[in-house]
Amino acid sequence: MYTVEIKNLVKTFDKAKAIDNLSLNIEKGKITGLIGADGSGKTTLIRLIIGLLVGDEGEITTLGLNPVTQKEELNYKIGYMPQKFGLYEDLTVIENLRLYADLKNEPYDFDKLLEFTVLSSFQNRLAGALSGGMKQKLGLACTLIGTPDFLLLDEPSVGVDPISRRDLMKMVRDLISPQTTVLWSTAYLDEAHSFDTTIVLDKGKVIYEGKPHDLAPTAQEFENKIIDLMGGYKKEKSLIAENYIPIKTNLSCTVEADNLEKKYGDFYAVRNNSFCINRGEIFGLLGPNGAGKSTSFKMMCGLTKPGGGTARIMGIDILKDPAKARSNLGYMAQKFSLYGSLTVRQNLEFFASAYGINFLNRTKRVDEIIDVFGFGAVQNRLSEDLPLGFKQRLSMACALIHNPPILFLDEPTSGVDVVTRRDFWNHITSLAKKGVTILVTTHFMDEAEYCDRISLFYKGETIAIGTPDELKQKANANNMEETFITLIKESEL
Amino acid sequence: MITDMLRRVFALVKKEFITIWKDPKSRGIIIAMPLLQLFVFANAITMEVKNIDTVVIDRNNSQETRELLSRFKHSPRFRHLYVVDDEKEFKHKIDTQNVQIGIYINNDFSSSLKSNRQPVVQIISDGRQTNSASIASGYASQIVSEYISENSTLKGASINPVVRNWYNPNLEYRWYLLTILIPMLALVITILLTALSIAREREMGTFDQLIVSPLSSFEILLGKTIPPLVIAMGLTCFMTISVVVFFRVPFMGSILLFLVSIFISLLSIVGVGLFISSICSTQQQAVLGVMTFQMPAMLLSGFISPIEDMPVFWQGITWINPVRFFMTLSKGIFLKGMSVQDIIYNLIPLVIIAVITLSLAGMTFKRKLG
Repeated sequence: MYTVEIKNLVKTFDKAKAIDNLSLNIEKGKITGLIGADGSGKTTLIRLIIGLLVGDEGEITTLGLNPVTQKEELNYKIGYMPQKFGLYEDLTVIENLRLYADLKNEPYDFDKLLEFTVLSSFQNRLAGALSGGMKQKLGLACTLIGTPDFLLLDEPSVGVDPISRRDLMKMVRDLISPQTTVLWSTAYLDEAHSFDTTIVLDKGKVIYEGKPHDLAPTAQEFENKIIDLMGGYKKEKSLIAENYIPIKTNLSCTVEADNLEKKYGDFYAVRNNSFCINRGEIFGLLGPNGAGKSTSFKMMCGLTKPGGGTARIMGIDILKDPAKARSNLGYMAQKFSLYGSLTVRQNLEFFASAYGINFLNRTKRVDEIIDVFGFGAVQNRLSEDLPLGFKQRLSMACALIHNPPILFLDEPTSGVDVVTRRDFWNHITSLAKKGVTILVTTHFMDEAEYCDRISLFYKGETIAIGTPDELKQKANANNMEETFITLIKESEL
Repeated sequence: MITDMLRRVFALVKKEFITIWKDPKSRGIIIAMPLLQLFVFANAITMEVKNIDTVVIDRNNSQETRELLSRFKHSPRFRHLYVVDDEKEFKHKIDTQNVQIGIYINNDFSSSLKSNRQPVVQIISDGRQTNSASIASGYASQIVSEYISENSTLKGASINPVVRNWYNPNLEYRWYLLTILIPMLALVITILLTALSIAREREMGTFDQLIVSPLSSFEILLGKTIPPLVIAMGLTCFMTISVVVFFRVPFMGSILLFLVSIFISLLSIVGVGLFISSICSTQQQAVLGVMTFQMPAMLLSGFISPIEDMPVFWQGITWINPVRFFMTLSKGIFLKGMSVQDIIYNLIPLVIIAVITLSLAGMTFKRKLG
């Protein structure tokens, strides 16, 4: 019995084939993981299956229905959670649930959902005031209302901490019936490894379909196999790091937080936060959503004014001399935040001049960066039209254009595929070896392994600080994910 | 230091121009809106009253009354003359807005005229359309009294005032409208462009990127002020030339003073726009903010009703309204060649408003970081 049957499906956007002669069957009552590089057609496929897009050629049958002509009938049977789920931020948790129940003609029966989402005590909080992880849980809860026959989840765990990620998984597994089919698109390969079936997409084609355990017995090996399937990743010398000109300094702490504190009303978002990052060190800020790491991060780069304490960049107080402190800083934000309507070259030129590189050196520097990052072919394209991997590289290029001694990365790899992530971290570790100090936040626990030291954040305070190995020992765990969960649970006691 | 700063500001200005131009929404605001509005306002909207339809009851039905009514027929302002017999139909015509005014002539019209008594003609106007009703009845009573004074020996109203309309001799409504349309359009465009600019960056997340760069608040402010100012100045010149060339409105004042006034006026409006923008976090909020400012600012500018006719309290409020001075300056310099002294009187409040709003905007940038 198949929930979805696809035959020779083709979908073209502006002459580029997003789905290329794809045939696929999705088994009923199974959880199927959908993986693939950015732009491989995952979201397009999901949208085609539920009739939000119409294919150019080929056939799709979803739950025995034609998703285009019988869309209304189909709508009652499916639950779809898009990448950005449409929560109404100005409505409370319970109002959001009621709204979606009304839309689906279902009774107000939320006890179990609230219990699983641990949102019972936050029923009257505005959805906009929830942390990233809680928002995703609420989104999933809204999708699960009415127990749909077929659940489609498009990267629900992007930007979500390991604990919330486990909760999401548990919600799906516990709240669906054995007959429910789930199609789950994800960038987390450990997640995909735990599903019943795996589909790997590449350039709109299925390049692997089968049981994940047939491919590899452990999540780590599974990841390597998937990378091989996607064309493989060869670690090369990072040209970006090669081109970096180290800056000499005698400072012991190039980045320093001294008793940083931030209070919103009576609530401490951050308190007693102190750390010192040495030159050439990769320092990771880890913690669940809403633990205060974003706030700390923002205080460090001067986006938020601290309630108390000081943040120093190369020994300069960011509040006293912001311009000078910032000229030492390269910043890469969580979501792509470059000018979409500017071309790649224009973006680079803009940031070069914003960082005070004069005209003669500017052209040279921009040419150099374009060369090193391999932007030659796309330099005159609008940056909003680039695939995500390229956008992420462009963000990094803009952050590095003024050859800064310090780099701040705020969840730089969220939503990025595994090959691009490996490449990215290759550059980062090479830059650190050249003496760049790096402060990074991430939700990928495998990435935490790249850090020299980690500060684990929970409820506004540092609960542990040390090298990844030290933390693992402390938690008596084998990997970072377990370490993370154990240490957080311990601190709750 | 200075060159560093100029370099950064220039980079920001250049980036701003590219983004404004590439965004179809902003492009529409700059090109389509002014052309469309100029066209619509100049051709469709008029406060002159023409094509008046009239219903008449003539109880006298004499040679004199026929002569009087033929004057209505030949007046360019009056179109149809419906002569009816009974009051019911008379009322019905006015009720259904078939006609704008009604004229009731008593049966003693000709005898009064002959015996040198003042004949009585009743003019009924439709009060639902206050403005056009009073204008139409004014025209009608003018025709009636002219007829009476010509055809009787009555010399009751022997004063015959001669009216000259200065600065707009033929009271061309278009002149008034077009000279006011220039500041109005410049206002709408400037305020929309500025209000959207920072809000858009906040929405996209690029504003954080700007704040984290060495650009200071002042430099960001400068970089955000220059592009809309340049665009609005360009548009104002373009509109002024169109108004002079295509609509033949004479430009009486000094072009230099006109440009200086426009520049300072726009600066104060950029300040308001940036202030709105700096307190909004999405473009939607910014648009709502613009509307909240724009409507009262237009109403209190003297565009719809003269400031002198407003209640004293509201007259006071107009002193903080940059649009008020902008309108006065544009109209004044355009049509009458306002004196330098008068111009300065109107510029001083504008400069004060600009300084206040621009510094407020600069301060809110920082405050928002909190």
